[in-house]
Order: sequence, then structure tokens, then C-alpha cells
Amino acid sequence: MLDKSIKEIHEALKKKEIKPIDLVEEAFTRIEKNKELNAYITLNKEAAIKRAKELEEKEVSDNLLFGLPIAVKDNIVTKDLKTTCASHILENFIPIYNATVVEKIEENDMVIIGKTNMDEFAMGSSSRTSYFGAPKNPWNHNKISGGSSGGSATTIAARDVLFALGTDTGGSIRQPASYTGIVGMKPTYGRVSRYGLIAFASSLDQIGPMTRNVYENALLLNVIAGHDKKDLTSANKEKEDFTRLIGKDIKNMKIALPSYFMSDIVTEEIRSEVEKTKKLLEKSGATVDVIDMKYLDNAVTLYQIIAMGEASSNLARFDGIRYGFSIENPKNIDDLYLETRKEGFGKEVKRRIMVGSYLLSGENAKIYYNKALSIRDDMKKEFDRVFKDYDLIIGPTTTTTAYNLTDPMDDPSKSFMDDVLVIPVNMAGLPGLSLPIGFGAGHMPIGLHIIGNSFEEAKIYQLASFLEKELNLNLDARKGEENV
Amino acid sequence: MKEKLTKEEVLHVAHLARIKVDEQEIEKYQVELKQLLNDVDKIKEVEGYDEERMIAPWTENTTPREDISGEMLNPKEVLKNAPRHSGNYIEVPIVISEEA
Repeated sequence: MLDKSIKEIHEALKKKEIKPIDLVEEAFTRIEKNKELNAYITLNKEAAIKRAKELEEKEVSDNLLFGLPIAVKDNIVTKDLKTTCASHILENFIPIYNATVVEKIEENDMVIIGKTNMDEFAMGSSSRTSYFGAPKNPWNHNKISGGSSGGSATTIAARDVLFALGTDTGGSIRQPASYTGIVGMKPTYGRVSRYGLIAFASSLDQIGPMTRNVYENALLLNVIAGHDKKDLTSANKEKEDFTRLIGKDIKNMKIALPSYFMSDIVTEEIRSEVEKTKKLLEKSGATVDVIDMKYLDNAVTLYQIIAMGEASSNLARFDGIRYGFSIENPKNIDDLYLETRKEGFGKEVKRRIMVGSYLLSGENAKIYYNKALSIRDDMKKEFDRVFKDYDLIIGPTTTTTAYNLTDPMDDPSKSFMDDVLVIPVNMAGLPGLSLPIGFGAGHMPIGLHIIGNSFEEAKIYQLASFLEKELNLNLDARKGEENV
Repeated sequence: MKEKLTKEEVLHVAHLARIKVDEQEIEKYQVELKQLLNDVDKIKEVEGYDEERMIAPWTENTTPREDISGEMLNPKEVLKNAPRHSGNYIEVPIVISEEA
């Protein structure tokens, strides 16, 4: 049933041909079959079945997402359901409240199926920093799924479920979406409440939908978006329907393609797919101009400073006192902090906290952090300038397709460079989406990155749905390995 | 020869982060932390820093919360996740030494 369209599933529920429990059981059967992919840290089996049965008592509303299973990234807190951030330090952490997005999912009668694997505290680009081992790419089990939302990307690409939540601080929704051939949206900063998202870099973090297609992505954003009094950075915007421009003509749309995104940092096979897409858009009546943009090549540096700085501050709360792992018999308070954090955090996280602490200490805060914020503001203005003349910006999502799980992890800069094309969007707080547009060597998916002006997610979905329909790709990864 | 931090620099940074570093880890951190610090040093080459500028760009569309008390978490629930607690208190090792 889960292979059918969302409307077909909804009709079947309405006509009582199927019940929510059938969908939940089907999802668990698929997850069990795909266990090797390691997409989940915790399954929510008992509670999900109970919830699905409760929904039988309810009348099926017009909400297309009624009764549908959803996977949630494991850095979003779920009441009474273990939330680990893929870290030893939170290995046994049971939250006592729900994140706002989780409340919204429940209000909309969706069923949480489990918590997905990720890079520890979302720090990484391949999900290999997970304390629970990396998820595998459904297209080729020797490849990474990307990160940090690697588990969410994996479970969607494997078609275990149709909906997942990811989080994106420096590309962590879009980059794994690109590597696994799914649709991933990082909404405008402030669009979705961060209440209950375990903070990594507070001025960049954003929760967003990961799905098999564009329409379902917009539907899930409809559910999770909205102002929240519990998050002071959440934007006070009118409710809108993000599906409203889907299917609309893209004629006369003005699109910019920054030359930096097509430079030789990107592999030729990916540039060629983007080039083909550009031609298709032009043939369809849109204009695509190659433009020059300042600051794009500074984005990774800004990101390293801002993200590591904010992480060092946010992760100071893990001290072995209030929650999480704590060493036995500490000699004194310093011993408790130092040993708990030494044992509780993994290598990547420790490295980033150490550098971040240094960047924020004393005069360094001015030299690095304040300067980075100031240049980030310039970068935002540079995007503003482009959006005066253009509706959308496009480029590739990643510089390569997914690489091998066994590739070395000893280069501390590597995980940042993997996200070089997606980080500018977090810097400017803009919405960005990755859409599958083709395949590279070994039939590994290639993604197009579509960037919109602040709060113009609907326009991104308009272009994405147009391309999705025109390209009509077979994105079913279950045939992945046969395709190699 | 790779660029390195000194051993003392690594220990200073680890102290700031309140993370214990073993003798055998120091050498690795000397190289890895130096590489990341070289990365972030690139910011020094970027022009256009204005110290006076407002540096919190995310103020659009946000509204301050009213200053009224709201729902609170239940202390019993909160303590469930504390590794050491007693009654309504979280236990910590002695912070001020007895001699002081």
C-alpha cells in the first residue's frame, strides 16, 4: 500500500478498505526487511501500534496525512521515546516533553514510527560519526547516505515510510537527500519552531521535511510550519498552503545560476546534469542566467566559526549532572565534567567543541565570531541583491555523488567541504530544496539545489514539481543494487 | 612536517572545553585542531568587517514573549533523567573544598 500515491492511500483509508494499523504494520515489515541499512536508532513499535488503533476510532478527516507513519530524526525530542542524538552521552535519555513539531505531527494524526540515525549531535556529513554506526545508502550499500540526517534519507529512499523529519544546520537535510535520490527541504530560518530540537548551532538549525516527492514534501511542511511562542526565533507569519503553486507554469520565471556552483569543485557528471536541467528550463520558457556572486567561497569558513562556536556553547549543558551519561564516583566537580565529556562525546564532537570554545574565548570572540556574523550579514545582502532580479537560484546540491562508507575520516575539514554548496543557504537563513535530477556513475543519484528568497518555499516547490514531472525519473532505490 | 599546536595549546583548548585529553590523544589533537584553526583563520583575509554593525540578523518577523509565568515542567519528571538525585534536589560532588 505504501507504494501508492498519497491520494490513493487516503481514499482507501476513507473508504475503510484499509486502516492506519495496516500502514503502520507495513512500515515495520519494511523496516525489518531493511534492517541492514541501519536507518533507525529506536523503533516506536508499541506506541505506534497503540496510536494507530486509537485512530481507528476517529473519523478520517480531509487531512491527506491522516494515519500515515512518519520517522523523526533522533535530535528532536519525543516524550517518553528515547532521544539520543546518536551520542553515547544521551544513550538512555528519555525526554519528558515533545518538540513543537512532534505535537503538530500528533495533532495531524500521523504516527511516529521511530527515531532515525544521524551524525552525533548532527555534526558530520556522512552519518558515520553516529555512536550507533552509519546508515547505508539504499542505492548501493557500500556508500554513505550523507549526513547528518542520513537515517531519515535512508528510510525514505528505501521506501520504508513516506515521511521523515530531518534537521539542517549546514546542509544536513539537502545533502543526504541528494545522495539518496529523495526530496529534502530546509525551510526559511524561523519557518518551523525549533522548540525541542536539541540545539547544535542555534542561529542556523532548522527542521524540515524529507519525502519521496515534491507534493508530499509540501504537505508535510504545511503540518510543521508556523509561529510558536516557545521559540522566540520562530517567525510570525500567516499560515499558507505550500502546495498552492505546484503544477503552475514556470514560463517567464527568472532563475540565476551562480558561476561558483558550476566551477571545477563540482564533478563533471554533476555539472552536466545541471546543464541539462538548465536547457530544459530554458526550453520551457524560463530564463536561466549564469551570474557572479560574492562571498559564496567564504561560506564554509563562516560556517566553521559560527557552527563550532555555537556548538561549544550549546553542548556545555552536557555535564553529567542533569541528564545523560555520567561517570561513576567522580572525585570532584571538575573530574565529573572532564571525564563525563571525555567518555560521552565522540571524536568529531569533541574536536568541534574544543575549537569552538577557543574561538569564543576572550578577544577571539571579536576576531572570529563577531567578524563571521558581520560577513554573514554581507552574504545575506548579496542574496537579497540577486533576489531583486531573480525568482530562484539553482545549482548542484553536492560536489560529488555519495562516496564509500570506508573512505578515510581522518581529515577534520572534509565533513565541512562536503557541504560547500549548501552552507551559504544556512548562512543567509534562506529556504533550499534538493531535488533528484539524474544519476551519475554506478547509478548514484544527483540532486539539484533550488534556493528561494526568505519565506518563498512555495515558489521553490513550483519549480521542483515542474522538473519532477518533466524528468519523470525512476527513484525507487529498492532496485538500486540491480542497477549498478 | 605537518603544522602543529604545542602540547600546552592543546591542553589550554581542552580546558576551555572541559574535556579531558589523554597523553596519547594530545599528538593527534596537535595536528587536527591546528588544521581547523588554519581553516577558520581564512576569515582574516575577508574584508568588510564593521564592529558597530548589528550582528543578529534574525530579528525580522519575531515577537518577544509577554513577561508572564506559563506552564512549568514537573520537578519529579525533570529529575527522572538526573544521574544522581535526592528528594527534589540534584546531587553534585562537593564544589567548595572543606578547608576553604
